[in-house]
Amino acid sequence: MTIQEIAFYIFSSVAIIASLMVVSARNPVHSVLFLIVVFFNAAGLFLLAGAEFLALILLIVYVGAVAVLFLFVVMMMDINFATIRQGFVRYFPFAGLVGLILLAEIIFAITSIPDVGGRATLGGVAHPIPDPQQVSNAHALGRILYTDYFYVFQLAGIVLLVAMIGAIVLTLRERPGSKHQNIGRQSYRSSSDTLQLIQDKPSGQGVHNG
Amino acid sequence: MAEFLSEYLWPLVLLILQVVAIIVALLIAVAYLTYAERKVLAAIQLRRGPNVVGPFGLLQPFADGLKLLTKETIIPTVANKVIFITAPILTFGLSLAAWAVIPVNDGWVMADINVGILYLFAISSLGVYGIIMAGWASNSKYPFLGALRSAAQMVSYEVSIGLVLITVLLCVGSLNLSDIVRAQQGLWFVLPLFPMFVVFFISALAETNRTPFDLPEAEAELVAGFFSEYSSMSFAMFYLAEYANMILMSTLMSILFLGGWLPPLNIAPFTDIPGPIWLGLKVACILFCFIWIRATFPRYRYDQLMRLGWKVFLPFSLFWVVLTAGVLLYAGWLPGQS
Amino acid sequence: MFVSITTIIPEIWLLVAAVALLMLGVCYKGVNFSVMILGAFIALVIAVILQIIWFPKTQELAFHGMFITKSGIAVTKIVCMSAAAFCLWMSGAYFRLSATLARFELPVLIILAVLGMNLMLSANHLISFYVSIELQSLALYVLAAFYRDNLRSTEAGLKYFALGALSSGLLLYGSSLLYGFTGSASFTAISQYMAMQQELPVGVVVALVFMLCGMVFKISAVPFHMWTPDVYQGAPTPVTAFFTTAPKLASLTLLLRLIIELFPAIQESWKQIFWIVSVGSMMVGAFAGLRQQNIKRLLAYSSIGHIGYALISLVVGGTGAINSLLLYMVIYLIMSLGVFACILAVTIHPERPDTLTDLSGLAKTNPLIAFCMAILMLSMAGIPPLVGFWGKFYVFIAAVQQQYYILPIIGVLSSVVAAFYYLKVIKVMYFDDQLIQSSLKTSSQATLLAVISTITVIVLFIYPDLLINPLQQAAASLTLR
Repeated sequence: MTIQEIAFYIFSSVAIIASLMVVSARNPVHSVLFLIVVFFNAAGLFLLAGAEFLALILLIVYVGAVAVLFLFVVMMMDINFATIRQGFVRYFPFAGLVGLILLAEIIFAITSIPDVGGRATLGGVAHPIPDPQQVSNAHALGRILYTDYFYVFQLAGIVLLVAMIGAIVLTLRERPGSKHQNIGRQSYRSSSDTLQLIQDKPSGQGVHNG
Repeated sequence: MAEFLSEYLWPLVLLILQVVAIIVALLIAVAYLTYAERKVLAAIQLRRGPNVVGPFGLLQPFADGLKLLTKETIIPTVANKVIFITAPILTFGLSLAAWAVIPVNDGWVMADINVGILYLFAISSLGVYGIIMAGWASNSKYPFLGALRSAAQMVSYEVSIGLVLITVLLCVGSLNLSDIVRAQQGLWFVLPLFPMFVVFFISALAETNRTPFDLPEAEAELVAGFFSEYSSMSFAMFYLAEYANMILMSTLMSILFLGGWLPPLNIAPFTDIPGPIWLGLKVACILFCFIWIRATFPRYRYDQLMRLGWKVFLPFSLFWVVLTAGVLLYAGWLPGQS
Repeated sequence: MFVSITTIIPEIWLLVAAVALLMLGVCYKGVNFSVMILGAFIALVIAVILQIIWFPKTQELAFHGMFITKSGIAVTKIVCMSAAAFCLWMSGAYFRLSATLARFELPVLIILAVLGMNLMLSANHLISFYVSIELQSLALYVLAAFYRDNLRSTEAGLKYFALGALSSGLLLYGSSLLYGFTGSASFTAISQYMAMQQELPVGVVVALVFMLCGMVFKISAVPFHMWTPDVYQGAPTPVTAFFTTAPKLASLTLLLRLIIELFPAIQESWKQIFWIVSVGSMMVGAFAGLRQQNIKRLLAYSSIGHIGYALISLVVGGTGAINSLLLYMVIYLIMSLGVFACILAVTIHPERPDTLTDLSGLAKTNPLIAFCMAILMLSMAGIPPLVGFWGKFYVFIAAVQQQYYILPIIGVLSSVVAAFYYLKVIKVMYFDDQLIQSSLKTSSQATLLAVISTITVIVLFIYPDLLINPLQQAAASLTLR
């Protein structure tokens, strides 16, 4: 057994155990933390497969940004888990049956996988994976992302634009009381705009006298 | 057996030695950074600073460390114990892990991986977990507020840091940190990319929770923010991690913009001085700026901080990414383009 | 590979227009909402014109085979874009009823949703297929929740989003299985593989089932119809009108392309599935609609039922049946737009009219709209002197010609049941006493559209060839692999 194999089994078994914990943990914050563990191990599996770029992007995007916001939301919510689990016993038999059927289907499907040799001749794979020793991950991805997959890359950008518009439409509210510093305006203010010398009347005459 | 020795054991021993060397050097650097901070702040505020323990107070950091070590670790009864204890360990561990890919001289690096910069970016984006976990596990109002602030703050400023990294990567054409330094042989990136250097510096302040962006710990509002409930060594770990992260960010800045271990001019008197010393000098200069800013600027209000991150830095750095790419493409300076 | 820009020019124009309108709205805070609506309407009209000018004569591919267009797809795009344009046209008055509704993002989102529909109609690769469906759905989720201060609307948006995400998951899972079993994500390569193979692995059938589940959700047919009444009821009325028209047609056509291009070899499998889906939809649409008091819920069940009729053609298969499917959908679009135009014409409050009783006595307060509504309801029910009859007629004829007898019989029976609630609307308008004092102020655009739609429904009954002939070529190109 090589080091790689040992690492593979460690990463994958920890990932499976942690993902079981994600669904079974009582505290939602713990669930999210276990989810992060799953992400970490998935990144480790990517590393073993020689996809170091994907591994780190997974960490940066999912762990560094998505899961942080998850955690943020989950921590803010006051969830009573007893109420969520109320229907659990009632729905379990049906849900379990559906799960079993799905499992059977998937096992059935997987056992029917044709031999790989038959598929490779199809010519469907336009780009064989380049040798990681020759071409770095980032280069290899960049070469197809901006050429063959340019169209879907742009489409993904439009999807994100829609998501952004949606988030703003549904949540942005004007706050009239909020004050902002406008440095340009501050700097351009001169004393003559605001200071005014008022020639006061001699004392003793009062203000109301004219 | 001999094969086992040469194949696994020696590399392992070598690796452990490297790790120990880095950790020891880092801890000493952190110790004297705290000392330097107090001295510089004192000088700016016309005080003397620590001057009792050892000559010029040089042993002060160690005295502080010993004091914290001998104190009792208090864990609040309502705290979530596992996460409460994990949080400082995670924070400290991450601040150490980042150093594996930092090149201190040509070829002097523990792991010369070809996605080094992404690794650093990932590690720095994970730093937020220590803070969130600490704030939540303390089960107390102020730490929780601090944690929420820091979660939003760090995620926001990572965006502009990421874009700054992209501008640098466009000029280098590699994600390897040593390659980034070598690409600056002729010209340090701080000159052509000066605005990005400024953006990165300010974002680094936010990322390390330093003044004027120290909202997660804002002592005037939140007692001590996310680590209000921590004491003794668990507190010390946060403290160490904060300063280790400061040094890390400064080193990263030196590598990205100030030519890493390269001397300022490639001529005789400069080239005689070894690379690590140049790197150390650059890091020290940036760290001085960190401390200088702490003594000078008041804290930002929270919405101003968000506004700066999303409405100023994000569009600005995005513009610079496009501009840099455009100039490189137009002038034919793109790396790997011949 | 040389790609002519004219292949994708309507989509490029829509994207440019959406971004331009967005910039306009963001940069000039004071821009009038009516101007934005008008701008979006004009943008859609121009897109339709562009598509007509550069109508694809043969099959055209672009972007390394990820984008495909042919006459059938182009015709569907034109219908979808026109439907969206009409929805915008009649919705201006409604959105001006409330300040939270009159926001400039609305026309932008509608254009982006239409862009998503166009792109998903043209998808020729599993990735572009999935991403464009997401583009369309995401815009629709936001539109459903657009009246954000209203509990119903936010509930509709959330429900639609949660269930839509689930269906996207199913779709994605099916796509990944398909990719795994065929070795390619390109539709062209997959259909080549399917044609070459003597015996297909079982996994392909599993993939088919998952993908169909996802798509059946998008067209809101039984058994994935649960969300429809809630979402249709909660969403702002013009958005509901939009939901019943363009996305329905786009998803159905995409479903058609999917099964005809990817799974011709296992048509026995999907014909069984669609048989059940079609019967279920017709029954649910007819029987569940009977109890409804809310107008929009009623129309939701009506739309479920109509999808059931359209799916009969999918079970039957062949060019003639596909032609009747397209015909049915286009007729349904015209009627649905008309019905919603009638509702919008008498809308005086974002949530009124809500129940059927709100329409009572409409014949006295607004005889024109009541008449249009009555005609359109009769047409929806499929009563002869109106075009709705031809839609059902051609679907049933195509089925009978291919020796399918049970489906048309169920179809006729359920349309008899459904006629009850269509007639109930007429009864409420003409014979019930007016309960609520409704103002006479009506939206002129919506009234105009209601009248146009009513006239179309009558004229097309006399000259159905006006619709059948252009759709014939489209159906032929869609059935071509």
